[in-house]
Amino acid sequence: MKALTGNRLTDGDVVFWRAGEWVERFVDAELFADAEAGEAAEASAKSQQTVIVDPYLIDLVESEGLWAPLSYRERLRALGPTNHLHHGKQAEGGAAIEALQHASGAARSTGRVNLIKR
Amino acid sequence: MYQYDTLDKEFLADRAAEFREQVARRLAGEITEDQFKPIRLMNGLYLQLHAYMLRVAIPYGSLNPVQLRVLADIGRKYDKGYGHFTTRQNLQFHWIKLADTPEILDALAAVDMHAIQTSGNCIRNTTSDPYAGATAEEIDDPRVWAEAIRQWSSLHPEYSFLPRKFKIAITAAAKDRTAAKVHDIGLMLRRGRDGTMGFEVIVGGGLGRTPYVGPTIKEFLPANRLLSYLDAILRVFNRHGRRDNKYKARIKILVSALGAAEFARQVEEEWAKVGTVGDLPDTEIARIRGAFAPTAFDTLINRSEAFEAAKAADPGLARFARNNLREHKRAGYTIVEISLKGIGDTPGDATSDQMDVVADLAERYGQNDVRVTHEQNLVLPHVKLDDVPAVYAALKAAGIGTPNINLISDIIACPGLDYCALANARAIPIAQDIARTFADQDRAELIGELKIKISGCINACGHHHVGHIGILGVDKKGEEFYQLTLGGSGAEDAAVGSALGPALPADRVAPAIDILVDVYLRERAEGERFLDTFRRTGVTPFKEAVYADAH
Repeated sequence: MKALTGNRLTDGDVVFWRAGEWVERFVDAELFADAEAGEAAEASAKSQQTVIVDPYLIDLVESEGLWAPLSYRERLRALGPTNHLHHGKQAEGGAAIEALQHASGAARSTGRVNLIKR
Repeated sequence: MYQYDTLDKEFLADRAAEFREQVARRLAGEITEDQFKPIRLMNGLYLQLHAYMLRVAIPYGSLNPVQLRVLADIGRKYDKGYGHFTTRQNLQFHWIKLADTPEILDALAAVDMHAIQTSGNCIRNTTSDPYAGATAEEIDDPRVWAEAIRQWSSLHPEYSFLPRKFKIAITAAAKDRTAAKVHDIGLMLRRGRDGTMGFEVIVGGGLGRTPYVGPTIKEFLPANRLLSYLDAILRVFNRHGRRDNKYKARIKILVSALGAAEFARQVEEEWAKVGTVGDLPDTEIARIRGAFAPTAFDTLINRSEAFEAAKAADPGLARFARNNLREHKRAGYTIVEISLKGIGDTPGDATSDQMDVVADLAERYGQNDVRVTHEQNLVLPHVKLDDVPAVYAALKAAGIGTPNINLISDIIACPGLDYCALANARAIPIAQDIARTFADQDRAELIGELKIKISGCINACGHHHVGHIGILGVDKKGEEFYQLTLGGSGAEDAAVGSALGPALPADRVAPAIDILVDVYLRERAEGERFLDTFRRTGVTPFKEAVYADAH
């Protein structure tokens, strides 16, 4: 299972693809069981140049009956920084956030290579 | 401090206006992200994990209260009420919106600040001694030379596309508080036998993937020849630097490949071509020096009865005085270090309210002067001993009175995977764990000076290679692991630490530090710091203790 994510151009916020639009919560993201559908969405997202920066597909894993990003980096993006638990999307709380916080699954980070130059 | 002239102010206003237009064009889709990204990076704006990050330059770590209040205001208005002081004496805002950045750059420009050359392959902010102008240890005020370098390197067309980023540090005291030997160029001001001033020039130090303590390529460069010699170094680098491979593009790789002697020879050859035309005339140095003329100090005796009485009555103040005060060059004054390492807090973070408190204190008690240290703390360089009780009380009330400078909980940590798109592992929670483990201040003082530095990836923004104990976060098949190194130093006795053994999972790091400290306390001889004991005993007793259960 995959989801499509990127950062919103205007404010850099982490957003997820849902049927051609971008939503802020991971729990609302469209899930792609089919690789081709995901890749088609990614191609479409890349054409939304005034909306999104560097969209990419991420792998998901099941957690507490819900889906969560497989890589730790992507769970951090979907939640917020662990040193300020009232910052980022985690501040909202609730079952969907807790499922992300409890998720595990070791995988090398996906996406976002070469995004930042020092 | 140095004052911008009309030309500087107009340039900054123009540059901010230009960026406003560029942002508008990007948002309107007139330019692509590929076209825009280099522009925003040239204005210090990165895209990190959760938002944009704006890195604001604080030239040689020197601020006035008006500037600090503007930073506080930006934190309040455009971020989440705080800012993060970095190991390069800069400030980063981690929750910035692209659409807000033109307003922010305007606000910065209004107080002579900007984010230019805080990114990209150019000459970055020059690191200098946070005690400059206050410590008796210095033979000259290094800010004079740092300011000369700032003016020379700002928007210098020849150095706007170097093979890789370039960082200079300058100190005028024997005790190095700038990590000069692990910069691309480290400059250490010396007094020659004939009484003249000159620089020991160290080139090719650095951290990151290939850490080096830089070799000295010139023992004594006459101070007034500084800029022509820097030109010569940069030209040799520009000529040979490996633009084809970013992992081999820093000057340290070039110096290592050529050898220090050959590199020095080429610099000398180039220097002869540059000649004195590249140097600042003495009148210009004198003009800059005028901006750093010491403010009026009162004539005092070096003892304050009020301060002594307050210490006797308040053990907290006495502890703060033991750990956070440093000797001032003037009798009756002291240098006050403000720790941004509260136990369990994020190293280097200051809330907007805390910044306001520090600005108020600088105005009321500190001659309008604030410094940022590369160890992510703040400094009030000129405080009367009489005023220390009031300063301490205000800091403590604001949650920044932690008496732990140079102690085990005064930890450097990069933002790590909590914020940074490059990171492989988190650094901040490891620092928080360790600080909590050593929250007992009596124990921390018993342990004495111990510098722990943590990076979330090999780029080493957290200076882990030069930590007495260094901690490097790595990604092992998606899990956070941490490699420990021992015996590093970023000071005048600079050294790159050596690896202790296999990487540890996150929950074993603080307990491992506890074990290392126990070994040190067992092994140490009279007067030895952790680093001294390690250098005497070698790694074996430490390694055996940490990995005992692996055998």
